[in-house]
Amino acid sequence: MPEPALEALGISKRYPESDALSGVSLIANPGELHGLLGPNGAGKTTLLRVVLGLVRRDAGTVRMFGRLMDAPFGPMPDGVAGFVETPAFYPYLSGRRNLELLARLDDRRAASGAGVADVLERLALADAANVDVAAYSAGMRQRLGIAACLLRSPRLLLLDEPTSSLDPASAHALRQLVRRLAADGVAVVLSSHDMSEVEALCAAVTIIDHGRVLYSGTIDGLRNVAPGAAHALHTSDDRMALTLAAARPGLRVTAAVDRDGLDVVADTASLDAYVLALAQIGVAVRTLEQRERSLESLFLQLTSGPTKDAAVPLPPRNPLHAAEVSS
Amino acid sequence: MRQRAVATVIGVECAKLRDQLAPRVLLAVCAIGPFAFVAAMRLQASVPEDTLFGRGVKESGFATPLVVLGFATLWVIPVLTAVIAGDLFAAEDRYGTWGTLLTRSRSRSDIFVGKVVTALAFSALALAALAASSIAAGIVGIGSQPLVDLSGISLAPARAVSRIALAWASVLPPAFGFTALAVLLSIITRSSVAGVGLPVVAALAMQLSGYVDGPDAPRRLLMTYGFDTWHGLLTEPPFYRPLIYSTAASIAYCVLCLAVAHRVFGQRDINR
Repeated sequence: MPEPALEALGISKRYPESDALSGVSLIANPGELHGLLGPNGAGKTTLLRVVLGLVRRDAGTVRMFGRLMDAPFGPMPDGVAGFVETPAFYPYLSGRRNLELLARLDDRRAASGAGVADVLERLALADAANVDVAAYSAGMRQRLGIAACLLRSPRLLLLDEPTSSLDPASAHALRQLVRRLAADGVAVVLSSHDMSEVEALCAAVTIIDHGRVLYSGTIDGLRNVAPGAAHALHTSDDRMALTLAAARPGLRVTAAVDRDGLDVVADTASLDAYVLALAQIGVAVRTLEQRERSLESLFLQLTSGPTKDAAVPLPPRNPLHAAEVSS
Repeated sequence: MRQRAVATVIGVECAKLRDQLAPRVLLAVCAIGPFAFVAAMRLQASVPEDTLFGRGVKESGFATPLVVLGFATLWVIPVLTAVIAGDLFAAEDRYGTWGTLLTRSRSRSDIFVGKVVTALAFSALALAALAASSIAAGIVGIGSQPLVDLSGISLAPARAVSRIALAWASVLPPAFGFTALAVLLSIITRSSVAGVGLPVVAALAMQLSGYVDGPDAPRRLLMTYGFDTWHGLLTEPPFYRPLIYSTAASIAYCVLCLAVAHRVFGQRDINR
């Protein structure tokens, strides 16, 4: 079993007005794409700030490649890179100059020329390399932030919402890059509030909300406890459709609260059988629209409690977390 | 290793200063200002009689750097030191770059020391530029006639230059004190406006307090007291006691301000 690239255990951070983090743990292994998922304000960015040494933790330990990070605000260890929120640079300097200065701070002066040119090329910023950062778009700054991370030849990369300001093509290119890095053995922690992005990229996920871990484990493990996808259903006779549903397993149908029609939560097979059964009793299906995919349903449940829109049963929170963490 | 780390930070900070307009404008003003002053003196019939060495400004070029020094100690030196020192830390807040800067291979202490040394070095450089330019402007514009000191004794050019250099050097400690104060205010307020403006306001307030009746001892503890102690170097024999007091007070201000600044900066959470 390789040593974890990142082992943050029992991290707590308290601000005067709130507990930002309460005993949060996050373990990322080499070559792993680990999603850090949660709604806005869940504590994802604070956790990354703690790990990156920008914010002092009140409790807990952080180890990077087995090395205990016990000196507050020390230098970032070699091979560790990351950013929180939109990365910021000196606007009166060009993108290239910004990276050259950062490379100097990393003792990469000799290699900075080639290294800077290489990362600018990889992030499609070569054409804008000599333009002042003041003229960069948010997406370009985000790419420059990733370029600044790559300068450190990371083995552990911590990215906070890295695609939030990117256009679809740039976001796709970044995901490809992140996959390649993970394939090369880099541990990547990817913070996001977008379940679909994490699901598409990551093999493991930690879901947090209100500063507490709700789930930590594999995406597959999450799928196993996820309910079926949520759908909006309109029929010619909703009352008959509800009555039929009550007798069928693997299916949860409720009257929609905020609109006409029904909310249906079911796996694909159960949903198909239900639609065929409706036809057999003479109830026409007028529209059937998927509202949330299954992991999104679970994510919403975990982070928002039982939502009316999702209309799915809420699995137990702590036992789920405990089971995954202990395994 | 630590010295190398700090030296790298200093190099990066100097590179950033070189690419900004404000430091270049400040140094240009320091270099050109005394020449403009000498040109104005040559054009007008009167001389600044109320200023120390003002009467002799047309009789010896060596009076020029002392007139400029007297003028600079009113508010120019606090401004020169605060413009850079008061912005060096707060600029990172303004640009939101702390997260970028503090996630590299340098500790927070390395960054702090590197920035402070850069601020002190810039203050010294600006003063040196102003002093050298004043001496050059006086010699070029007026001439290198002997200087009559405050005791009425004529000083040969070589001796005059050494006294003038000492006089300018004597204001370095209080200038460093104001630099340290600007760093502290910049870190506490996270605002360039406060970091630059408040030390200048503090300097003016300290100077105004000199006009208020009261015991001398507390006044000697003010940083601005050190701006006048060079007078003792232009007498025969020179007297150094006020210079020693003011230097000690300035060092105390420096140590206190930088110690507090380091503590505040070292404990700060970077949330932006």
